[in-house]
Amino acid sequence: MLRLIKIEWAKVSSYNLFRVILIMTGSLFLLVLFVLSRIDISVPGFSTRNIVRFPNIWQSFVWVASWFNVLLAILVIVLTGNEFASKTFRQQVMSGLSRNEWLAGKGILIVGLALFGLILIILAALIYGVIFTRDMTLGLIFENSSILFVYFLQSIGYMVLGLLFITVLRSNALGIILYLLYFIFIEPITRLLCPVEVRGWFPVKIISHLTPIPEFLQLASQNGNLQTDNFSFESMGLIAKQLSQTVTLAMAVFYVILFSFLTWLVVRKKDL
Amino acid sequence: MILETANLSKRYGSILAADKITLQIEEGSAFGLLGPNGSGKTTTLGMVMSVLKPDSGWYKWFDSEPNSPVYKQIGCLLEVPNFFPYLSLKKNLEIIVRIREVEMSDINRVLDETGLINRKNSRFDTLSLGMKQRMAIAATLLGNPGVLVLDEPANGLDPEGIAEVRSLILRQRERGKTIIMASHILDEVEKVCTHVAVLKKGTVIASGEVDKLLQMDDVIIVSTDKPEILKAELESRVLVKSVIINGNSLEIIPAGGVDSAAINKLAYEKGIVLTELRIKKSTLEDQFLQLIK
Repeated sequence: MLRLIKIEWAKVSSYNLFRVILIMTGSLFLLVLFVLSRIDISVPGFSTRNIVRFPNIWQSFVWVASWFNVLLAILVIVLTGNEFASKTFRQQVMSGLSRNEWLAGKGILIVGLALFGLILIILAALIYGVIFTRDMTLGLIFENSSILFVYFLQSIGYMVLGLLFITVLRSNALGIILYLLYFIFIEPITRLLCPVEVRGWFPVKIISHLTPIPEFLQLASQNGNLQTDNFSFESMGLIAKQLSQTVTLAMAVFYVILFSFLTWLVVRKKDL
Repeated sequence: MILETANLSKRYGSILAADKITLQIEEGSAFGLLGPNGSGKTTTLGMVMSVLKPDSGWYKWFDSEPNSPVYKQIGCLLEVPNFFPYLSLKKNLEIIVRIREVEMSDINRVLDETGLINRKNSRFDTLSLGMKQRMAIAATLLGNPGVLVLDEPANGLDPEGIAEVRSLILRQRERGKTIIMASHILDEVEKVCTHVAVLKKGTVIASGEVDKLLQMDDVIIVSTDKPEILKAELESRVLVKSVIINGNSLEIIPAGGVDSAAINKLAYEKGIVLTELRIKKSTLEDQFLQLIK
């Protein structure tokens, strides 16, 4: 395990694009949070500052961070695609690395990038939360923080799907274009063509719904736990009815396993 | 046995790149895979190095089923050098060292041996083609493996570079390593290898010891106005190993014990007028070309 981590680190640590995308992801994320924290609209019983206060901060920051998961997935596509393009995957296999070990290395890369996102959220949330929350308790700080696990799973889901695309296509340009097309056009159009009851079960729908748009109006209400559905986007008809969180989580895990298995099959069977 | 293959075949669409390749390579030998471009040398090496999946047949390294630990005992250069372009030579070799689980100090040794020690911190993509080739050879030497698999190791090198690589390979051979080398250059195989398999269109058409397989036969050049008839007569009487018609001339490699006088006598008896009859010393290249024609 440590050996594979060292191998993967040696490959990426000196790669400029790797650094650029990580810095870009971090910077853009922090920039959005900064803008979000500057919005201060307060009326009696309602304050936008609640969005950056514990415990709501976890949900809102995770949602913002989820925008950048596609960037991390593109990074995985590029790093893996490079190994096909420059045939270094082939060189490593000839040197004694098994195909399974190579794939495990990519798994480590994906988990590492997901951890990067996770740590970024935790640090940012702790800093902003401490700045903007009054009357903090330990319980309040970590309330709702379980959504971090959901973010982690979502992040892995996006990247594993990217890994599957690039192992099948083996071309960075094609991999990135088709990956984005799948997100923006192919799956949404396919969903539209399917019966309503099937639409919620598609992979991107499931994975993206792990961190749905927070109900900001509800979060911004004075006590942060408004129990009415009046402010729900779903009840307003702005978004389609979704599967329950438990089913969504289970399906996301299923898709991550399925994409990983398909990637393993492709890596195992194809010539290098 | 270091490597044994049986009926290894590989097809790319309608092209049969390797057709029932059967080889046996013994420890300590220097085995050449000789053939023109597209004859299936790289495909064969790709299959035994586990990067290409054979359609049929099997192979064994060290008398056992191939697996990744086996490949740690083999240094391989297949086609062009494949390294991370943005990494230095040292960093690239570090990756191989970690894969092979050998000492980091080995990096300096192999870079020194291949004359690249001064460039160890240079990015791989800044090297010349010849240096890249030497870097690939350096990678094959990491961990001091007992077997070297080299596919066109002199590819892209200038004459001086070719001589350097050759002497490097010969040094490895002298140290008792088994060398498996694919090349389309006869001279390279002849100077390095003890055994050779000649490939043509994916098939092994001849194999054995280099000295015996590529022995120097004389070629008899005959010119006549009836080349087809003379060729048929020679072949029907089994007087020749091979005959090639080139216009009105025939290039004849005679069978054992047959000389130019016997051919002259046959032509006279059949009423075929010879306008030229001379003996040309055959080169190894002639023998190779005869084999692959």
